[in-house]
Amino acid sequence: MNIRRVAVTGVGIIAPLGVGRQNVWPAILEGRSGISRIEDFDTSRLKSTIAGVCREFNPEQFFDEREISRLDRVSQLAMAATGMAIKDSGLCNGQLDSYDAGVILGTGFGGQRSIEEFCAAFFANGAARRSAIAIPKSMYNASSSNVAIRYKTRGPNITVSTACSSGANAIGQAFQLIRYGHAERMIAGGADAPITPVVMDAWKEMRVLSTKNECPARACKPFSANRDGFVLSEGAGILILETVEAAVERGAHIYGEIIGYGSTADASHITFPDPEGEAYAMLRAIKDAGIETDEVGYINAHGTATKLNDASETDAIKRVFGDRAYQMPISSTKSMLGHSMGAAGAIEIVVSILAIEDGKIPPTINYEERDEQCDLDYVVEGAREFPRGKGPRIAISNSFGFGGNNAVIVARELAV
Amino acid sequence: MTRQAPESIEDTVKSIVAAELRTDRSRLEPHTHLMKDLGADSLDALNIAIRLEEAFKIKIPDDAIPNFLTIGDIVKGVQQHQAAAAV
Repeated sequence: MNIRRVAVTGVGIIAPLGVGRQNVWPAILEGRSGISRIEDFDTSRLKSTIAGVCREFNPEQFFDEREISRLDRVSQLAMAATGMAIKDSGLCNGQLDSYDAGVILGTGFGGQRSIEEFCAAFFANGAARRSAIAIPKSMYNASSSNVAIRYKTRGPNITVSTACSSGANAIGQAFQLIRYGHAERMIAGGADAPITPVVMDAWKEMRVLSTKNECPARACKPFSANRDGFVLSEGAGILILETVEAAVERGAHIYGEIIGYGSTADASHITFPDPEGEAYAMLRAIKDAGIETDEVGYINAHGTATKLNDASETDAIKRVFGDRAYQMPISSTKSMLGHSMGAAGAIEIVVSILAIEDGKIPPTINYEERDEQCDLDYVVEGAREFPRGKGPRIAISNSFGFGGNNAVIVARELAV
Repeated sequence: MTRQAPESIEDTVKSIVAAELRTDRSRLEPHTHLMKDLGADSLDALNIAIRLEEAFKIKIPDDAIPNFLTIGDIVKGVQQHQAAAAV
């Protein structure tokens, strides 16, 4: 089978630290936090009252009033980030309006806000506003379909929902479609907008959210012994993928290549992570990429800051890299951006691509106390250089979801 | 709700259509067509029917919705359904 190389030629990102890579990437390198107090609804009954809200995202800049009324926030985030990524890629509509171009997006919560609105109307027994838009606004595939409708991409249009690894699995699936010749250009990534009263309350019962409310910017402490959970956030990360050959031919800017994808299931417990499943996802991605473990120069960790994840992920990294794990720079950008569920994997792959392109490794912020179970190099002193080893820079991005769904992506600087 | 004068019905209909389609009231004339003139689709038409049902306490059957596509027809339809409900 003819295996084609896959280039990233456009990126779009909306995150709690801003809109667009020009704003988000420098803020990440500076180690700024995007976490703040929730102001959009009453939090008096919650234990965790902080979140990563995309306050810089202004839907009016991207949509008219009527579009806004028909698009759930998750579709708004996905479509706005896609618009940025397409513009960045230099692809024009003639190249997207095709059966050879498609969309694969990940989401964990889909149109959750709209679901809550129409459930509230239903349970109010006619006392609240009903709507004929409820289903098309809230369905999980609304984002990917709205993207296709806007850009007329007529090829594969698929929504992936594997909790926190949705965005990474979406990019992995899109990568394979191009690699094996089933598509020429893919819009791939993830979006989620899960910061709602109902979701916050449901997470509260699981006791996995940080309750360090007094200082939101310092709440999320991945790999630190005093970590107490993740901070829920929202956002979108989108990549434009095409073959390296096509990208070179049209003179496009190439951020880097996606070269490997590993996907596994723990098949053990619905929430309790299993380092073996996580390690296999990394091993398979590295094998798929056709590289050796010692070529990997950076790991963008899943790094949620829950007790269980960070210990399990550290264990998994040691299983894969052996003694070299102790020399490997590993960072959790969730320390700054929070955990945007189905968007997180995609945003972190955008971050990994920018790291290999810019030659800088983002930090893990808020690290304070050493944990015996988490004893690797988490880049806690601030951003650092991403040196080239024997060859081009290579990063891997880990995403491990509830359900035991693991997805790992390997990205490489363009090898000439 | 008691029977309304036609001008009052038209006024309410215009308010509903303007709000649902995010359009200026001044664009709305009796002959204005929701789809051809205002770019509405079938989902908008359904939403407008829901709002009309709420505002006028009437029930618009599914097969009547295609008759609710110009401002004038909507006003006429609301009057007919109110009359039917009053019998």
